[in-house]
Amino acid sequence: MAEEDDMESIRADTIVKTFGSVRALDGITVTVDPGELFFLLGASGCGKTTLLRCIAGLETPDSGTVSFGERDVTRMPPHKREAAMVFQSYALWPHLTVGQNIAFGLEERKVSKAEIKQRVAEALEMVQLPGFGERSIDQMSGGQQQRVSLARALVVKPKCLLLDEPLSNLDAQLRVEMRGEIRRIVKENGLTAVYVTHDQEEALAMADRMAVLTRGTIGQVDTPENVYRNPLSAYVAKFIGETNIVPGEIVEVRSGFAMLKTDAGPLVGRVTDPEWNPQPGEQARLSIRPEAWRLHKSSGDNEVVGRIAERAYLGQRIQYWIETAAGRQQVVEMNPHIIHEPGEEQIVLHARHDDVVVLKP
Amino acid sequence: MKRGPAILITILVCAFFAVFFVYPAGMVVKQAFEGPDGFTLEFFRAVFENPIYREGIANSFLLGISATLLATCIAFPLALIGHRYDFPGKPALGVMVLAPMILPPFVGAVGVKQILGVNGALNAALAKLGMMDAAHPFDWLAEGRMAGIVLMIGLNLYPILYMNIAAALSNLDPAMEQAAENLGCPPWKRFFRITLPLAMPGVFAGASIVFIWAFTELGVPLVFDFSRTASVQIFDGLKGLDKNPIPYALTAILLIVAATVFSLSKFVIGRSPLGTAPRPKGRANAKRLRGMKGLLCSFAFLGVFLLASIPHVGVLFLSTAERWYGTVVPDEFTMRHYTEALGNGLVVPSIQNSLMYAGCATLLALLVGLGVAWVVVRSDLKVRGILDAVVMLPLAVPGLVMAFGYLALSQEGKPFHFLVGAGGSPFLLLVLAYGTRRLPYIVRSAVAGLQQSNPALEEAARSLGATPVRTLRRVALPLIGANLAAGSILAFAFAMLEVSDSLILAQQEQHYPITKAIYTLLSTLGNGTELAAALGVWSMVFLSTAIMGAAILGGKRGGLFKV
Repeated sequence: MAEEDDMESIRADTIVKTFGSVRALDGITVTVDPGELFFLLGASGCGKTTLLRCIAGLETPDSGTVSFGERDVTRMPPHKREAAMVFQSYALWPHLTVGQNIAFGLEERKVSKAEIKQRVAEALEMVQLPGFGERSIDQMSGGQQQRVSLARALVVKPKCLLLDEPLSNLDAQLRVEMRGEIRRIVKENGLTAVYVTHDQEEALAMADRMAVLTRGTIGQVDTPENVYRNPLSAYVAKFIGETNIVPGEIVEVRSGFAMLKTDAGPLVGRVTDPEWNPQPGEQARLSIRPEAWRLHKSSGDNEVVGRIAERAYLGQRIQYWIETAAGRQQVVEMNPHIIHEPGEEQIVLHARHDDVVVLKP
Repeated sequence: MKRGPAILITILVCAFFAVFFVYPAGMVVKQAFEGPDGFTLEFFRAVFENPIYREGIANSFLLGISATLLATCIAFPLALIGHRYDFPGKPALGVMVLAPMILPPFVGAVGVKQILGVNGALNAALAKLGMMDAAHPFDWLAEGRMAGIVLMIGLNLYPILYMNIAAALSNLDPAMEQAAENLGCPPWKRFFRITLPLAMPGVFAGASIVFIWAFTELGVPLVFDFSRTASVQIFDGLKGLDKNPIPYALTAILLIVAATVFSLSKFVIGRSPLGTAPRPKGRANAKRLRGMKGLLCSFAFLGVFLLASIPHVGVLFLSTAERWYGTVVPDEFTMRHYTEALGNGLVVPSIQNSLMYAGCATLLALLVGLGVAWVVVRSDLKVRGILDAVVMLPLAVPGLVMAFGYLALSQEGKPFHFLVGAGGSPFLLLVLAYGTRRLPYIVRSAVAGLQQSNPALEEAARSLGATPVRTLRRVALPLIGANLAAGSILAFAFAMLEVSDSLILAQQEQHYPITKAIYTLLSTLGNGTELAAALGVWSMVFLSTAIMGAAILGGKRGGLFKV
């Protein structure tokens, strides 16, 4: 275990980066705390990889600063930053063996031969590939290559670890296994890590905190639970998990809750944005997760009526699309014991006040 | 890659090109337009009013066009057959048709003279068969000297075209033809509607290079004693360069024609309709031919090979003949010429000189080429496309023009005089001339190598603490090493057998490179011709080994020569 004071924070301050006429990063600021596993999450083209590459020193921002701890590293070349990167394509050198790939960074740091040998062996052990040092890269499977690239970055004991969609080339099952592995290794080594992905499930499962990026700006930075439960915008709500968005007009506001008049009747929800004071008469939107809707548990308020248009049976859960006056609602029921068929029969949907989020239009 | 080094490399390379490429070429053009009272078209008028020069230029055009047509007629069917079908012996035959590349054409011309001359092997064979009266032999070369030169050059240059077309065809996604087939297009229609239009840029690129080479060919007309081409007229006019402006005007005409043809092929006709289409991943759909049809294809390749190796056979026989005069094959064979050649004052120094010139030129081209390729592939500079185009220009400028410009500029009191070493050594001049003109091979192979290797491989090294230089040495170079080696071998081999620069720039015997030594030996009385042939055979062996090495290292034969 590394000592607490070995860890370094990473700060990117008002970073701007343009490629031609495209503004890839539009004044982004993020702070990653020491020892944190921090996620950059967003759709393709949102700038998350560019931000990571700015932190690694592989791109130079047009303006803004990158600092590690107290040091300003904005103009520092990548090889002096002690920020080891794991690439999406793994970037393992085909002309070197597994062992030589891992030893590379240590050789560049002029570590003694004996120590290199020992640390390479330890690194292989850590990624559960003991004795694979003599293999050539093309003898390794995709999952094994992924582990080698992780070992290569970790063996130099970097101040921070940067991961660029490291699991996107693996099959679904291996991906789930590796999630736990990477988190274990990062935490055991006490690393400050920045992890780029477009896979929201990966981010929810692994992150200490995450930043949701949209078109070169930050949508929200928070813990996975908070981002999921208290999204600050419709974009974030829609990007992290599924959600139903219902537009309406605010009629009443009381202690963090607001009532909206929607096409399907009045609905009450929680206001998540502390900087927003919604006023009656203002337009707003509601975000209701599919699992927040419950079928026919009528309690008399926060109800919407509709009929089932479609359903999909997915084993552990069942998914309904229910036509209501406020548009089609997606509803998920876990472990269903009654399965409703699509038809004209009227269905009542109910959501708890806490489970409905009121967002700016 | 950081901007700084990229900009520095771009500036250095552009400066290098400006001084050692644009300036000499531009100087030739300027001299051609500059009389005692400033701008003048007087010299051009003088050239076009003189029937001898008019004929020279007309002959050069005729030579260029007919040799290109001949080369196309040989190369296109071969490339197409090779692309479409599998036939017996294809891998070996595909290499064998490249045979002309291992012999400088003017050395081959010596062999051809032995076979087609009045007392040559062909007449002897015809007389023996009773088809010709031995007392009245037919002079094949005197009757059709021009035809002989065209044949010689066409046979020598078709491999360049063959490789360009083959590369263009193999870069086509087989799925494009398969899609046409699938939509009901019969094979021949498919060829004209899909294959040919898509392969056209490759054909034109290759054809323009062949035209420029043939148009300005110096060695072959010299050996055939044919002085009525512009190239030979320039060569003959070198002696009185300070007084005579005509060679400048002639050289400027050659340059203008060559540059026009090259830009036409590049920008008008040669624009690839494929655009940035991804490299094909589908399997090539070569059809296996059996029986007669397959053999027919094999014979087509074999026939071209036999025809193209007539000069080689001539040179080989000449170098091992005790006496070869008026017979089909020499009466007696000997190794005498080889041992004698080693004792000749010209031969051994010329080999040493060539090795040194070509070696240093390759090194120079390698350094510059690597830098250029790096900027072109890895940087985001806007000018990188221009840089890429600039370094390919040496293909458009005839060797003769450059050699002429260097010679004129290295005279006493001229700016390049400092390049002439002690005792009139042309070392620096030749290294620069060879190096600049071989640069495209290195750039193309290095660019291909870098494009195939993922930039993340280099970034990974940087993020693990390797400096840019260490990254280059430990990751980038090992990964593109094979490509670089292949390009370097080709550059080296072509520099070894370079004709125009060597003939014009090397002035003293002790500084002669191989080609000038061969040329000088040819006009030496006694057994000079045989010694020259022996030296020619040595270079054949050397060059074939080098090219095979390059082919093995480079993987694909076509890629390296693609313009």
